[in-house]
Amino acid sequence: MSQQSLTLPATGPGSGAGSAKARRNRHVLELAGAAAIAGTYVFLVLTQPADIANGPASFSALVALGGFFLGAVLLIAAALPVLPTSTLVLMPVALVLNVVLGQLMGSTGLPFYFDAIGTVLIAVLAGPAAGAATGALSSIVWSFVNPTVLPFAAGAALIGFLAGLAARGGLFRRFYLAPVAGFVTGILAGVVSAPIAAFVFGGTAGVGTGALVSAFRAMGDTLLAAITKQALVSDPMDKAIVFAIAAMLVYALPRRTTVQFPFVRRYRVLAGKAPETPEA
Amino acid sequence: MPSTLHPLTSLTAAGCTAVITTAAGAWPLSLAVGLAAAVLAVRAGVGRRVLAAAAAVLLPLGLSLLMLHGLFFPEGRTVLAAWGPARVTAEGLAFALESGSRTGACVMVLLLFSFTVSAPDLVAALAGRGLPPQFGFVVASALTLLPVMAGRLDNIRAAQEARGLVLRGGVLSRLVGVRLQMVPLVLGLIEDSGSRAQALEARGFGGPGPRTSYREVADPPVGRRFRAALLLLAAAAVALRLAASWPAAGPS
Repeated sequence: MSQQSLTLPATGPGSGAGSAKARRNRHVLELAGAAAIAGTYVFLVLTQPADIANGPASFSALVALGGFFLGAVLLIAAALPVLPTSTLVLMPVALVLNVVLGQLMGSTGLPFYFDAIGTVLIAVLAGPAAGAATGALSSIVWSFVNPTVLPFAAGAALIGFLAGLAARGGLFRRFYLAPVAGFVTGILAGVVSAPIAAFVFGGTAGVGTGALVSAFRAMGDTLLAAITKQALVSDPMDKAIVFAIAAMLVYALPRRTTVQFPFVRRYRVLAGKAPETPEA
Repeated sequence: MPSTLHPLTSLTAAGCTAVITTAAGAWPLSLAVGLAAAVLAVRAGVGRRVLAAAAAVLLPLGLSLLMLHGLFFPEGRTVLAAWGPARVTAEGLAFALESGSRTGACVMVLLLFSFTVSAPDLVAALAGRGLPPQFGFVVASALTLLPVMAGRLDNIRAAQEARGLVLRGGVLSRLVGVRLQMVPLVLGLIEDSGSRAQALEARGFGGPGPRTSYREVADPPVGRRFRAALLLLAAAAVALRLAASWPAAGPS
């Protein structure tokens, strides 16, 4: 630590003279983004129309779209400019992995969606901020072929963020802990995404999930309650599997590759002793 | 076929149309917007691709909505038919039509935009408007990586099949097959991105300061005024809807 590096000082707004101010601004943006998402959710649940038969839920749809979109944009704006180039270059890879691996897993015929493998992979290698930005950007890129995923950007960002937190906390050091983290992430992400499905789309996109929602509706639940329950059935299982797959992929990477990531070195994300090479 | 409009103009047009349709929440308007988008897509020469993509999204959603609200709608009063717990109600069918047509209109409009816009122009235009340059890089390289990746996956599958991988049988053997394709794919991509990061860094990608763009996109003043008008219109529609529905949406 005492020896100065001989290379140029690290670039980016996160370093240099104005670093404290820039970091504070970034935290304000992150907090504002999280607050927008949380506030929108609470508002939607509190003001949900008691009787959806009275008319379309245009009001709730607009609030859900606006609030969640604002939150996702703030999170991207907070995270993106300070990410190192090695992480930024990995993000397009993760976006495409989300799509391609999702389709590949779909070919096994299992009834889950698996659309976050790349996001979780990035979060494990590069941290919560990178995970959140990847999740939100992934929804934006995917919406070029399927616009209905755009409103779920906030939920995808939440998945990436929580996966990064789990990695920082060491839950990816043991293979059996990763699915547990995924299960908890799935609960939160499912609950946050349910108002979008209920108010923006009026239901779920799949026939299988639709059947599940129908079953809860038949018992007399409101639409939001039925979709939240459906999400609590599907999402935790799905995310547990996604986290397990991401863990398997990270373990398969050579150590030479994984220790290139400062996040992995700093928080000892993977099992094994810390590399002995100095950081400078 | 890329459209001749400035990418921000078409993006604003698509976004505002989707917002206004959502705010209006009337199925005749939604159907009209969806049809208009389909006609425009056919005239732009992308009709087949837009309709195929829209069908892939909207058919499962529509079926699911029809099953969900058509059969189970506890709030419904006008019962048209009933089998046991399933009741077909007029309110449920109307609700399914309402949400389905609203989503359909938004999907059609946004697909029309994404299939007619030129991605490099869009990225250049967004970077010119003060968006972080990293955003443009991530989006543009993801859009160009997508077809490359599909080809790469084919190569990996061919190589593994030459070594004796058989993609058949139950879930377990399929999972083994997926793992044999996934691990080389991810490994190769992460290795590649490492060397790409070094190359980009050597060319000053991470450096601070303003960027200039090779690509200049013409933005005529007519388009700028059109965008401003559309944004005002969309804001007015949202404000009207919020004002009209606010008391009704209160907790009760």
